[in-house]
Amino acid sequence: MVSLDLAEISVRDANVQLRALAETGEDVEILNPDARHHIGVGLTAPINVTVKGSAGYFCAGLTDQAHFNISHNVGWGVGDNMYSGSVIVGGNAGAIPGVAIRGAEIVIKGNMGSRAGQVMKAGTLCCAGNANFMAGYMMYGGTIIIIGDSGERVGEDMSSGEIFVAGRVQDLGSDAMLTDLEQTEIEGINEFLDRYEIKAPKGFSKIINAGKKLRYGSAEMPVRSIPFHSFSGDSEYWNPKIQEDIAIKAQSGRYRIRGYGGARPLPHLSDIGFRKHFTSASIDRDVIKKVYMATEIGGINGAQPLRLSMPVMIAPMSYGALSRSTKYAIAMASAMSGIAENTGEGGMSDAQRDAAGQLIFQCLGGRLGWNIHDIRRADALEIYISQGAKPGLGGQLMAKKVTPELAKIRGIPSGIDLRSPSRHPDILGADDLVIKVEEFREATGYQVPVSVKLGAGRIRDDIKIASKDGFDFVELDGMQGSTGAGSAEVIDNVGIPTLPAIIEAIEALEEIDARDKIQLVLMGGLRDGVDAIKALCLGADAVAFGTSVIVAGGCISCMQCHVGQCVTGIATQDPEHEKRYQPTVEAGNIHRFLESVRWQIAAITLALGYDNVRHLNRGDLVALTPEAANITGLPYEPVATDSVSLEAGASL
Amino acid sequence: MCGIAGLMYRKSSQDFKTGEALIRMLDGCQHRGPDSTGFALYSPEPSGRLKLRFFIDSMVEPTVESSIATIRKRLIELGASIEDESHAWDNYNVTIHYDGDVQKLSYGLEQTAKVISIGTSLEIVKDVGSAYDVDDRYHVNKFHGTHGLGHVRLATESDVKPEAAHPFWATGFADVAIVHNGQITNYWKMRRRLEQRGFVFTTDNDSELIAVYLADKLANGAQLQDALSTSIDDLDGTFSFLVSTEDEIGYAKDRLAAKPMIMYEDDDLVAIASEEVSLNRLFPGRALNTHEPAPGTYATWSRSI
Repeated sequence: MVSLDLAEISVRDANVQLRALAETGEDVEILNPDARHHIGVGLTAPINVTVKGSAGYFCAGLTDQAHFNISHNVGWGVGDNMYSGSVIVGGNAGAIPGVAIRGAEIVIKGNMGSRAGQVMKAGTLCCAGNANFMAGYMMYGGTIIIIGDSGERVGEDMSSGEIFVAGRVQDLGSDAMLTDLEQTEIEGINEFLDRYEIKAPKGFSKIINAGKKLRYGSAEMPVRSIPFHSFSGDSEYWNPKIQEDIAIKAQSGRYRIRGYGGARPLPHLSDIGFRKHFTSASIDRDVIKKVYMATEIGGINGAQPLRLSMPVMIAPMSYGALSRSTKYAIAMASAMSGIAENTGEGGMSDAQRDAAGQLIFQCLGGRLGWNIHDIRRADALEIYISQGAKPGLGGQLMAKKVTPELAKIRGIPSGIDLRSPSRHPDILGADDLVIKVEEFREATGYQVPVSVKLGAGRIRDDIKIASKDGFDFVELDGMQGSTGAGSAEVIDNVGIPTLPAIIEAIEALEEIDARDKIQLVLMGGLRDGVDAIKALCLGADAVAFGTSVIVAGGCISCMQCHVGQCVTGIATQDPEHEKRYQPTVEAGNIHRFLESVRWQIAAITLALGYDNVRHLNRGDLVALTPEAANITGLPYEPVATDSVSLEAGASL
Repeated sequence: MCGIAGLMYRKSSQDFKTGEALIRMLDGCQHRGPDSTGFALYSPEPSGRLKLRFFIDSMVEPTVESSIATIRKRLIELGASIEDESHAWDNYNVTIHYDGDVQKLSYGLEQTAKVISIGTSLEIVKDVGSAYDVDDRYHVNKFHGTHGLGHVRLATESDVKPEAAHPFWATGFADVAIVHNGQITNYWKMRRRLEQRGFVFTTDNDSELIAVYLADKLANGAQLQDALSTSIDDLDGTFSFLVSTEDEIGYAKDRLAAKPMIMYEDDDLVAIASEEVSLNRLFPGRALNTHEPAPGTYATWSRSI
């Protein structure tokens, strides 16, 4: 038995020692814990850890195989995302005990706080005392045993799993119902309680999902195929889009869901142009060698940065919205072009990890596919707060796309219309967020950059918070960003367009003198290298491409991503459809598109008179519309031409 | 977005290092709010005199001396006689003899000076920086008293300025202070309602609103616990707040419990904080039997005299 005294060493140092001791199988006791946060975070080997006193937030978080015994209380999120192993808490637990666990046994001898077992996937959470409100909130699987009273709204919006309550069931949550227990279930619970020396109660009430809310009453109607320019039609008032929309709603009686990007004209990067005449670009054929484009993202606080061959990365898109083959192709293309790929929501596949040179791993509120083992093989971590296409909303994945394989990675029942929560269980404000970021740092030994993905909304406040909470970079997503499925009303009406988003973000950081304390990656409807270079001139450190990459890889822009029957095999999980997609061929296409972006960035940088993309600046730009001038503060000079890049292209 | 702390020593006879205890509690949760830190401190025996603390604003007056002279002149105009005064860092502190209405005094000072607090025993100290930064400037650790509140702030919607730091004094009501973690979403509705009744707000901060709301109830004869009870129904949003008066402290917590709060109580003291790590700073190496206040609840404590 080794003793680590937190009166003498920091939690960070103790966790380093714990990881080393876990490899040797040595048992450890933690002295003077004094409710400090992050004790034991990130352990992935069998080890027995005894905490003599109380622990703070995320004790035993992001662990696998370890066993913890805490003599007193724990703060929020004990056992966060545990895979296997156990935690015994002698006293009370704060809010969200057992949040997002994917296995493991967590036993609380006292009372537990609200939202116990939120978004848990598997394993058992047991409380010998009373639970507070919404135990089992949005749980996807596993078992919760409450010996005392249930608290209010037990089982709120649970998708699957079981909750057993021995005390009073105060009231049931939305879409939860009581059901009968089998004798074998009671025996199983009593065996569990016996192992943890908890006296078996006389009987239990069993609560499961009632199945009334998770499926739509009516199916999404197929859309008549109309070309995008008609679909986005702004020329006529009662245009075909409006007519079809009304006709469909007359059948379904609810809001519409669709995929792809926004379909309304908004001020965008095309509303600004370059000030200077491009004199030399069209002459030189070897521009790429003449311009320094290598960009490091994420290293400003000491983590190992992403090393990009140009200031470009792939925007987060999930395996789920997209087929595995598509994610595989994008990963290959990103490696060929020396840039970073992003998992999006829903987990990391082996094929994607192996193919991508550098991979950002995204963490969403549902913690779908999120786990310590994939965290360890990621090159950067990203907390998703919201996205440009539908800021503030959760995700929607129609049942057709929730295949058994996909469900397994995400740890959810297959075949449900999957609603991903819009909020994180443990991030209810900037003050909690800082503790969450620290948990990720502890789990990765402070080696991996941590970023935040923000849909453009309250940019000025959000970007300041991101900087104060110690993120390494922000992925800022404007309103023109696309989605695999979202409400049409939100896609076209909510959020801030990409152009004003970058302006406001830079201003906000300058206001608090923090422009050098965080890096900015801009996305949201960026189409090519010209858009990219304008974003760089406006102050972005890099840009990310989503839709344009999909289009380069065969998307026909039919906007029916949500249906799951994508004819090109991109936005589908149907094996028959996916067969049509040729990952190697499409990877080549995507790679060539990315190389065209590289050429555009190099050529324009050179034409503007620089040999390094870091030298690009606002002074290189003019506004082409009064509106863009108003948004950006750039001079309104409509005579400047945006067509120079075409001339330059013609010479190749 | 922030961390809060409150502390009351229950026995009146002893000399308690409230300032030092609150510094330790706030240092324990400084991660929740690195921008600014503040303290509401209550001295043991009210002298019957009023203590006033002001921010000296170099933007308004050319020099410190002229700022102080302006405040002095205005105090005398309003009928106060100055008995004691001091100047530390950006604060001007003055003890006055004043028989009139505190609300009139405070509204009368409104155009002239930035009042931090007025009270017979209350003094609020707040500034940008950490608990130890603020202590370095204002020597909070030397402060002895019976009870107090503390706050660390991460500025989200307003600027990082000393006057935006917490605690907030209930403008116009002596000895009432508040620290708050959360966001009141019906702020403007509530504020307009209070403004129609003649109350003046010196900031756009929702915490000042809670303080004035509670102080108004108290001034109309309500007990502190009754005021807290109605606040849970009247205020909309996420909140965990602590309130203190001359002889009581209390808390209220919203029904969603989005903002944490944990408390420890024994015969000698009651301590409340956002996180247990702050409570443990008072008792290093001890496992505490703490209690998490239930959602939608309130409670008050007073000193046993």
